[in-house]
Amino acid sequence: MNHRTSRQAGIGSRLFTGIAFAAVATAPFAQADKLVIEAGRIIQNSGTEIENGVIVVEDGRIVAIGPAAEVEKPWDAPVVGGPELVAFPGFIEAHSNRGMDRPNENIDVAPFLDVRDSIDPINLYFEDCLRWGVTTINVQQGNDTVVAAKGRIVHPTGMTVEEMTVRPNYGLKLSAAPKRGNSRATQAQALRGAFGDLQRYLEDVVADARQGGDLARREALYQGRDMEGEKAKGRAMGGSTWKVDGLELIPRGAIDEQQEPLLELVEGRYDAFVWCGSPRDVHLAIDIATQNGFLDRTTLVLDSSCWKAADVIAAAGLDVILQGSQMDTETDPVTGEETETFVPGVFAEKGITFALSSENASSNSLWFQAARAVAHGLDRAAALDAVTTTPAAILGLGDQVGSLEVGKLADILLLSGDPLSSQSWVEHAFIEGNHVYDRSKDVRNKYIFEGQQPLGAGSASPQGVESVGVVEESNDDEDAEEK
Amino acid sequence: MRELRTCLPLVIGLLAAPTALAAPVTPPVHPLAVPTAVAGTSVDGTFEGDDTSEGERADGDAVESAPAVLIHAGRVIVRPGKELEGVDVLIEGGRIAAVGVGLEVPEGARVIEGAVVCAGFIDPWSTLGIDGASLSDRGAGPATRTVDGFDPYAEKAWREAALAAGVTVARIQAGAGSRIGGLGAMVRNDRNASLDSILLSDACVAAQVEGGDVFERLDSVEKIVQSIEKGDRYRRSQIDYESDLAEWEEAIAKAEKELEDDFKKAKKDRKKEMDEAREKGKEFKEKRYKEDSRPRAPRFDADSQVLARVASGELPIVIEAHRVAEMRLLLELMAKQPRTRWILAGASDGHLIAEELDDAGVTVLVVPERRGLGGRFGAKELQLAGQLQSAGVDVMIGTAGDSEVRDLPLLAAMAVGHGLDREAALAAITTRPARAFDLADRAGTVEVGKNADLVVLTGDPLASSSRVQFVVLGGEVVVERE
Repeated sequence: MNHRTSRQAGIGSRLFTGIAFAAVATAPFAQADKLVIEAGRIIQNSGTEIENGVIVVEDGRIVAIGPAAEVEKPWDAPVVGGPELVAFPGFIEAHSNRGMDRPNENIDVAPFLDVRDSIDPINLYFEDCLRWGVTTINVQQGNDTVVAAKGRIVHPTGMTVEEMTVRPNYGLKLSAAPKRGNSRATQAQALRGAFGDLQRYLEDVVADARQGGDLARREALYQGRDMEGEKAKGRAMGGSTWKVDGLELIPRGAIDEQQEPLLELVEGRYDAFVWCGSPRDVHLAIDIATQNGFLDRTTLVLDSSCWKAADVIAAAGLDVILQGSQMDTETDPVTGEETETFVPGVFAEKGITFALSSENASSNSLWFQAARAVAHGLDRAAALDAVTTTPAAILGLGDQVGSLEVGKLADILLLSGDPLSSQSWVEHAFIEGNHVYDRSKDVRNKYIFEGQQPLGAGSASPQGVESVGVVEESNDDEDAEEK
Repeated sequence: MRELRTCLPLVIGLLAAPTALAAPVTPPVHPLAVPTAVAGTSVDGTFEGDDTSEGERADGDAVESAPAVLIHAGRVIVRPGKELEGVDVLIEGGRIAAVGVGLEVPEGARVIEGAVVCAGFIDPWSTLGIDGASLSDRGAGPATRTVDGFDPYAEKAWREAALAAGVTVARIQAGAGSRIGGLGAMVRNDRNASLDSILLSDACVAAQVEGGDVFERLDSVEKIVQSIEKGDRYRRSQIDYESDLAEWEEAIAKAEKELEDDFKKAKKDRKKEMDEAREKGKEFKEKRYKEDSRPRAPRFDADSQVLARVASGELPIVIEAHRVAEMRLLLELMAKQPRTRWILAGASDGHLIAEELDDAGVTVLVVPERRGLGGRFGAKELQLAGQLQSAGVDVMIGTAGDSEVRDLPLLAAMAVGHGLDREAALAAITTRPARAFDLADRAGTVEVGKNADLVVLTGDPLASSSRVQFVVLGGEVVVERE
């Protein structure tokens, strides 16, 4: 009884420390104009390594990188690191629907919403991202949707969503797999319907404008005026595959803002992330993207079984993000025989560009995904690319993040060992040159591994908070232990 | 004359008389002479979907690159009621290129010996490859498309089994959970199905009479027919709109021209005529311009758009009904829709009103193992096909998810055992479904120009002791059992 009471108190207090820690971890550290990072081994990208290297950071970007003997270190810059550490570019999550207050919307077609309004800066997910070395995250609405809200690329640090933001209004999420309550047939109907509705809406707008224009012209005729010089002003618009005749007559501001994001997608101004839960969905996704002219800006987010449609994906030339388990298990309905397929292996073989994602429930973060893929036989370089340069390229950030090169953002991890080893820890993480994570100051880690009570622990906490704390904490314990 | 005739080429095409076969075998004819021209004339499937098109799949039905196949057949069932002894069937470019005696074997062609050749069986109602949710989705409507619910990656084993039994084409239908369940499709039963297996993506619309008690069910019948009527009105309103628009455009153009002329004159004699023209223009504006706005298109309604195609007879509608009262009401109401092509499905109590069904000229799709709705309709359907046929009603036999698709020929054979005549039973799973669902130009018979979807058996196709030796699908030998 006594024991139980004390445990409850402990859990309650851990929630408090969680919040306290999040506040500390996500607060932007004082901007260091200059910084020198030293490491016994610098892994610039999957192909290049430097022994005993130095990285010089200025104003958030890498200005010099190379062996210690060759790089001149500014005398006035603080030095972090040491010969026992390995420097590695921050991992990049190409697609995630975590970190939000709620990942899904009830509304089937809601491109006018924005995940900005759902991202929660103190969500424990972001704290975990730092602990695991994920420095860039593409947050998109959950998969249970038809056409979802606008997404956003963020860093896992910042007190507000704006501080976290790398790129706002980035990407629209679509789902080719049935939303709850839909069947495959009605999901496809809803998805096609969304674009059909847009087209008819635009046709209506044009018809109205033409009607107005006609009346004005006739009125001018009646008054003996010429219409020259009074031609309607506006911006040329229209999709690349289907066009609404006369849409250029409509000023942009006259378009209903609920319809505008979908129009921008059709015009090729937005990237699309299309979730496919089965290989059949891949056909629908490609069909919709082709018909509406955004195929070349489409990335497929795939569940495991979608490897069966790999040929179709290769033919369409699409990049993919693997969100499902890396092993796909199938049972033969007649013989009962089980066959396992290593999913990233199939995509690698077909020459399809793929990024790994940490979404699936069986494991936690990108380092683990990459390590697991290597264990199943994927080439190490391909596995490292799939969590760094490839997701960076998919997100259009290839020249900013994903590798340690001069000119790129200083999103750098200092690890205690090889990035794919389960024995390695993220010791320090830097985002745009800011020192955002230091394991020696990670209160939660200390508590779990050293039993060290954080500051303020043990004080009384309200009952209501405790029950919430139990849920939050139990998840987090598992996560931490796995790492 | 007789001599001359025996010398004539004996390539039996679409119209060749079977009597010619009685003549002794003549020198072989160049097999490509006639047929190639005919083969090219096969009409591609029509697809006139709205903005929701998944594209025409009609071209995928023939494997052009497949090597030629020549079948030496003991007997060819060209179509039910027409059989030829000792002829060859030549398959080229995925289609039947020639049916005749002593055809020359083209270079590189594969030669197959078979006892009986008949057209691949067509299941007029199947659920193969459709996921359960799409089948039972209560949210499905007329514009829901079965092809969107069709998963070519699923149920491969069952598809293989069906193919091995000689079922080469099936009408798949989703949306059995709602009153009008959407567009059905005709698909080829490929072993490795893909979306290219879809022969006709918009083949029909299906509806079912729902409800427990008789009043609910009668109400359901009325609602189905009302939906078709609404579709018809929608179609008319679109036609009206188009003619109104043309009329309006003409009137406006004329009026504008008039005004323009007036002002040209006014410019010449400004003082005098300006006022006059202005007065005229003002009058005109008040009369015409202010209220005379451009006609607007009828509000888009995807469901009505599909039902308009049903009302005009472009697409058939399959209506599942079982009881006498509801079938009578259907007959009565559908008689007022003469353009609509409809097919009665189920018809458990149909034998009680067989004469009336015959008078109405409706085709009935019998589902021998349907014991739906808690078994209330009994399992009399094995006799049903025979009873309807003897009253003169054309029947089709389908599986509808209640039997395995591979059992389709067996169901037809059992119907023969229960009184259906043999030719009608074969027609029920070949020519009739092909005709009902607009594939008659491509499937259902062994005739020149048709898709080469053939079954080669050791004996009669409807005898349970016959074994399938080969199945040819789109010109490719896909099943072989020696």
